Amino acid sequence: MRRSAARKTGQSNSTAPITSSATDLFRSASSKASSKEMERIDNLFYSYANRSSGLIDPEGIENLCSDMEVDHTDVRILMLAWKMKAEKQGYFTVEEWRRGLKALRADTVNKLKKALPELEKEVKRPSNFVDFYSYSFRYCLTEEKQKSIDIESICQLLDLVLGSHFRAQVDYFIEYLKIQNDYKVINMDQWMGFYHFCTEISFPDLSNYDPELAWPLILDNFVEWMQEKRT
Amino acid sequence: MSNQKKRNFQIEAFKHRVVVDPKYADKTWKILEHAIHEIYNHNASGLSFEELYRNAYNMVLHKFGEKLYSGLVSTMTSHLKEISKSIEAAQGDSFLEELNRKWNDHNKALQMIRDILMYMDRTYIPSTHKTPVHELGLNLWRDNIIHSSKIQTRLLNTLLELVHRERTGEVIDRGLMRNIIKMLMDLGSLVYQEDFEKPFLEVSAEFYKVESQEFIECCDCGEYLKKAEKRLNEEIERVTHYLDAKSEVKITNVVEKEMIANHMLSLVHMENSGLVNMLLDDKYEDLGRMYNLFRRVPNGLLTIREVMTSHLRETGKQLVTDPERLKDPVEFVQRLLDEKDKYDSIISLAFSNDKTFQNALNSSFEYFINLNARSPEFISLFVDDKLRKGLKGVSEEDVEVILDKVMMLFRYLQEKDVFEKYYKQHLAKRLLSGKTVSDDAERSLIVKLKTECGYQFTSKLEGMFTDMKTSQDTMQGFYASHPELGDGPTLVVQVLTTGSWPTQPNVTCNLPAEMSALCEKFRSYYLGTHTGRRLSWQTNMGTADVKATFGKGQKHELNVSTFQMCVLMLFNNADRLSYKEIEQATEIPASDLKRCLQSMACVKGKNVLRKEPMSKDIGEEDAFFVNDKFTSKFYKVKIGTVVAQKESEPEKQETRQREEDRKPQIEAAIVRIMKSRRVLDHNNIIAEVTKQLQSRFLANPRRLRNVLSLLLNEISWRGIPLTENCTVILLEGIA
Repeated sequence: MRRSAARKTGQSNSTAPITSSATDLFRSASSKASSKEMERIDNLFYSYANRSSGLIDPEGIENLCSDMEVDHTDVRILMLAWKMKAEKQGYFTVEEWRRGLKALRADTVNKLKKALPELEKEVKRPSNFVDFYSYSFRYCLTEEKQKSIDIESICQLLDLVLGSHFRAQVDYFIEYLKIQNDYKVINMDQWMGFYHFCTEISFPDLSNYDPELAWPLILDNFVEWMQEKRT
Repeated sequence: MSNQKKRNFQIEAFKHRVVVDPKYADKTWKILEHAIHEIYNHNASGLSFEELYRNAYNMVLHKFGEKLYSGLVSTMTSHLKEISKSIEAAQGDSFLEELNRKWNDHNKALQMIRDILMYMDRTYIPSTHKTPVHELGLNLWRDNIIHSSKIQTRLLNTLLELVHRERTGEVIDRGLMRNIIKMLMDLGSLVYQEDFEKPFLEVSAEFYKVESQEFIECCDCGEYLKKAEKRLNEEIERVTHYLDAKSEVKITNVVEKEMIANHMLSLVHMENSGLVNMLLDDKYEDLGRMYNLFRRVPNGLLTIREVMTSHLRETGKQLVTDPERLKDPVEFVQRLLDEKDKYDSIISLAFSNDKTFQNALNSSFEYFINLNARSPEFISLFVDDKLRKGLKGVSEEDVEVILDKVMMLFRYLQEKDVFEKYYKQHLAKRLLSGKTVSDDAERSLIVKLKTECGYQFTSKLEGMFTDMKTSQDTMQGFYASHPELGDGPTLVVQVLTTGSWPTQPNVTCNLPAEMSALCEKFRSYYLGTHTGRRLSWQTNMGTADVKATFGKGQKHELNVSTFQMCVLMLFNNADRLSYKEIEQATEIPASDLKRCLQSMACVKGKNVLRKEPMSKDIGEEDAFFVNDKFTSKFYKVKIGTVVAQKESEPEKQETRQREEDRKPQIEAAIVRIMKSRRVLDHNNIIAEVTKQLQSRFLANPRRLRNVLSLLLNEISWRGIPLTENCTVILLEGIA
């Protein structure tokens, strides 16, 4: 288990380049207590951030994860990104970092770690889950102008995001996606369709599925495939 | 800024979340076991699919697939054993219903169980090569229910009992049967075959063996066939309603074998109702039924065909050798045509225009028509009759139909050259006497013969028609250039080209003076325009119209033969003439003269002469007078000539003549073949010649060999005897 302390001291001049006016404004705008908190948050940020880019990059995230004793592929990291409203997969900006940690009221690694269970619960609340669900799709659009995700990645994402609640549906989705040939990528509309399907449609009988309604075609095909399989 | 690798999230869900506790497997299994019980007890509504699925998923994920699978097997087995007891306990008719009900329940349960255990089905089972859940459920059902000792036999017997009841006329619950049979099919084709189909086929064979025996003893052929057909259709219908489609061909084979194949000969030869009776009575429906049923069994159609052929040959043989029939050639041929029509109808209406039957018909006709050597002559006589009067008033299409039918018979003749000879004779008579009903019909038949036999066959016949036309033109020309002859007797000459017309012996006859002068004038006219030709008068073929005035002044126009005219004209200069005087004056040969006198003196209604004595025969001492008392209600009287006793040559002579006629044809064929082949061995020469002559007559191989050796001797082949292996080589210089 790696310790982050050595790192911290080794990056004494990490704070030096940050002399932008925005940061100054930020400092001056906050109160003493919160500014103290903010300072710690910033310090934490810079302990993981890349010196030249000023962002936490995948390597930094990996370090953070190991400090938190959470696997970097764990869904809770995705939840953290959601909380931060991080835009680019694998990277955190300082604003995002501040946003997220402030909301979680965590200014140390330990506090951050302890905040995870609460974060999970929050995400699972129906009002938030939809938002998290759609966020997770956008978070995977890594190229500029990319609007859809390949089947392989979607399968992994489905399992990650929906697997804990809708095990059977996800297993069947994945089996179907792998054998069908109509679609090579999935877009946001179809992605959302999966979620609504899981929450609304009775499984495995599919008795209340109405293809006349506005379900994406891929789900109509999926339902047909399932019905054939079960006869 | 370094180039960072993008990383996607990997599937690593909650591995650390689930605690792998030894009791975990038992606890989870207990939940699932309970669920299976609830499902079998129709209590599934209270279960959460999601939860059960997840539990099964987790068991497999955590390597407890074995426990899950074996638990499934034992739970299902114990439920099935209970179910088996409840089915065994069912009484009477409710046995099948109970079985059906429990089967449906089991399927529903199996469906639900399989949904829950889907993950195991997809991951654990393939990797361990175990039986998938659905199939497992079917196998357990098969082993614990269908093959249970208390159910297996009872089930089979119940099913066979129901089939038997239905066969004896009862109405059974087909829907229930269908479901039970479908169950057996779902359990696998082996189950269906062993637990139902095989015994079903055996029992059915026994049933139909017995039934067919009963029917054969009490029914006639037609009735039996109706019953057999009915049973066949019933079985087919049974299959569509509640058996596996693959059983259709098997059960129909059983019925076909037991009801048809095993009794084929008894049916066909059944007294008073068998095939021959059906043929005689034109029983199209029965024949059609027999055809349709027999075509299903090996040698069925062959049997029908053989019996039909032998019957046809027998009937035909009787027809052509019956002495009564032979008295009337026209009737003879008409009977043949009727017989052909009859069988054509049978083949088209009942035997579905089957070519093999058509061939059998043709070969039979060919066989018996040629049994009678006079068939070619009779057919020509038939045609002659039709063309003289039979086709009068018949429409053009119908004429064609009749001529086509005649052509059909003609094709069967092996000795077509004999037909040609008679046809030529008959045609000559028709043309010369102007007694043809329709020129178009004549020509149409010539065309048909040409199509059938080639130009050679009909060229002479066509020549005859040409001569008739040319003669008309010649007569016109003759009278145009001799206007002074307008008042005298009218001469109508038909100039016949010698090769085209049947040869006639040249007969002496002295024409009356006026006639011979006229004929001389014609001769010089004709030879003036056709140098290098020779004309000879055929007095035995001519006719004359003579105006006569009798004793009481009654006038008649007599249509007579040339010979008769010569005789009558003598009485212009004498009242009484003796036979000898007449013979001397006319120089007509004795047999012809006697017949000619007989026709005019001894035939009632035509006796323009009176004879002393009034006997029927002409004696050399007889005297003749004009019969002044002759009367007839007609102005125009036709006096024919009595037919000679033996008008046609005795058969032996005829055959010899025929063989003589054929020799040149055989020789010509041999030469033709050798010219084109140049070298050919003996057997092939015989074969080729036979083929070439086929359209005219059926060549006898021995005769061909004789002709061939004669031909070779003529070119002095050194008298080497001809054997099978010889090769004949064409030498140059043979024309």
